[in-house]
Amino acid sequence: MRTWCKTWRFWLVGLILGLWGLQVLWLIWHFGPEARDLAQRAARGSLGGAIRQEDPLYRWATTLAGIIPESATYVFLDDYAAGKEIEVRYYLAPRRHILRPPEVPASFLFYALHQEHAAFLLIRESPKPLGPGARAAMHSLAFQPVNLPGPGLTFRVDYSRLRWGFYD
Amino acid sequence: MIDTGITLLRLLLGLGAIFFLGYALLTLLVPRPRDFSCFERAAFSFGVGALTLTLWMLALTWRGVPFGLAWILGPPLALAAALLLTPRGRRAVREDRRADRLRPPMALSGWDWLFLGLLTMVFLYALPRAALYPMWSWDAVATWGCKARIFFNTKGLDLICIDAHNYYPNLIPLLLSYLYFALGQVNDYLVNAIFPLWGALLLGLLYSLSTRVGLSRRFALGLTAFLALNGTVFIVHLYIAYADLPLAFFTLGGAALLYLWLADAAPRGSLTLAAGFLAGMAWCKYEGPPLAATLILAAALTLVWLRPAHWVRRLGQLTVPLAGLVVGYLPWRLFIVQQQLEIGADHIQGFYPHQMVQGIYHLLAGLVSPFYFGFLWPALALALVLAGKRLWRSPMLFLALFVGGNLVAIILAYAVAPTSAAEFPGYVRATLDRLLLHLTPVAALLLALGFKDLDQAPASDPGRGSQGLTAISNPRPEI
Repeated sequence: MRTWCKTWRFWLVGLILGLWGLQVLWLIWHFGPEARDLAQRAARGSLGGAIRQEDPLYRWATTLAGIIPESATYVFLDDYAAGKEIEVRYYLAPRRHILRPPEVPASFLFYALHQEHAAFLLIRESPKPLGPGARAAMHSLAFQPVNLPGPGLTFRVDYSRLRWGFYD
Repeated sequence: MIDTGITLLRLLLGLGAIFFLGYALLTLLVPRPRDFSCFERAAFSFGVGALTLTLWMLALTWRGVPFGLAWILGPPLALAAALLLTPRGRRAVREDRRADRLRPPMALSGWDWLFLGLLTMVFLYALPRAALYPMWSWDAVATWGCKARIFFNTKGLDLICIDAHNYYPNLIPLLLSYLYFALGQVNDYLVNAIFPLWGALLLGLLYSLSTRVGLSRRFALGLTAFLALNGTVFIVHLYIAYADLPLAFFTLGGAALLYLWLADAAPRGSLTLAAGFLAGMAWCKYEGPPLAATLILAAALTLVWLRPAHWVRRLGQLTVPLAGLVVGYLPWRLFIVQQQLEIGADHIQGFYPHQMVQGIYHLLAGLVSPFYFGFLWPALALALVLAGKRLWRSPMLFLALFVGGNLVAIILAYAVAPTSAAEFPGYVRATLDRLLLHLTPVAALLLALGFKDLDQAPASDPGRGSQGLTAISNPRPEI
């Protein structure tokens, strides 16, 4: 009985180890493309900061960093789930960053800009049409478009001109 | 080329200072650091050093002293040097140097080479993947890396410009910002090397603890490779700059030290060191304090269940790790109150039974998913069956209670998570692998204890760990 128990224990352990062997092979296959990318980049010497330069969002954000003072606040219109606003916030830190959804109504957007003393409004490019807040901003005198190439629109904001109350 | 060399040198010096500080404090916390293996000393030194340095940076902010390398490193290094100049510190260094000279060369067999080769392969991929790519993953960019950048730029814990999770503990951001100061610039790819370092220290700790609990070197190496190369989660966390791997490291250290203490197999000073690791858990991540509290609870329940000699006194001694938890938790909480930071309550909104049912399903699926942790958790289930009565008649119970209790806690956490029905599967996908990662190294240690009887190498086997302990090998409670 004792020998039988030992035998099935070793069979079970053997099964786990066999499956693990297959797992290791699968892992090599799974990480293969990333390892290849790493090797190719190392061969080209395009690593570290050079990787960032390939990203248009990064190039846009670094240009913005030259325009937006470090003490300023900006409002960024984007979907949180897209994961791009966190990148822009990262590049523009320590500037104060306020996220609002692209479909934000004009009243909420104007209220946020006024209340937070925001000096800039950034709208990331999206295949969807602009929301009501962004459309209203384009026609308001409080917003001055800044001509910057990149995957988004930039407006300089004079929040003092957005002084009325909003009861949307 | 010269610039790159200088930058690398500055990084190595920055990391070396953490080890130096931690080692000096180790000589203070532990009467004889030599009682721990070199892997354990390296891991404990780095853990204690990182914890102390970042708490010191919090203290600097509190006193209104702007960050600078002189203030961040000067006083802690002076303290470390003073500690190493005391008779106790000098003796520890002397013993370590003597042991290094006397250490016999390791005779590795075929299996040892295979396991070492697999581990080397992981780090040959993960280290350059971490240190040559800029930060890119979600939490790294949104929270940890972003804060580190801000702390470096503003020379303090300035949380005005960030409104996402600013109440999270700051061990990782402060450590990254310290490395930025060491480098003299924000270099958000080179500092990522700290994450594979953390992974290597965790694996070294697991290997050493496995030999300490009685596994042969071959089995211990195999187990270490089994953790590292099982599923994708561990490997990915070596380079995505999340706080979960450091939390898993502190959790393994704290759990293992408490286990050894319960098994009467701990070197002197282990409980104090465990307190340091529980402090690290609390200061590392939002999930850290409850995780550390469950370690203490599991230890208390084990003592009450097994009732070893002097169990009531030993229950009282658990105030030492409890004090560690308080040291890791309280300073940041007081800082939050002082700075009037808003604390999120995003996990306590109500109880949703349907989410609990779904949570059970997702958790079980996650435990057996080859994509997450491969066959580690099924192997653990098998090991627990093989352990039989030993599971509840020995201090193994402590680790089982901790792991099992936290699996239940994960289900409960999902039951109170404020998500919509559509969001819930995505929410689970984004969190489950990380929550399991916190527990998985401890699960691997439990696996080592479960499979110990299968490792039947004779005691004279050169591959057998020299620190196999009767107290742990004995299936009867000896605590």
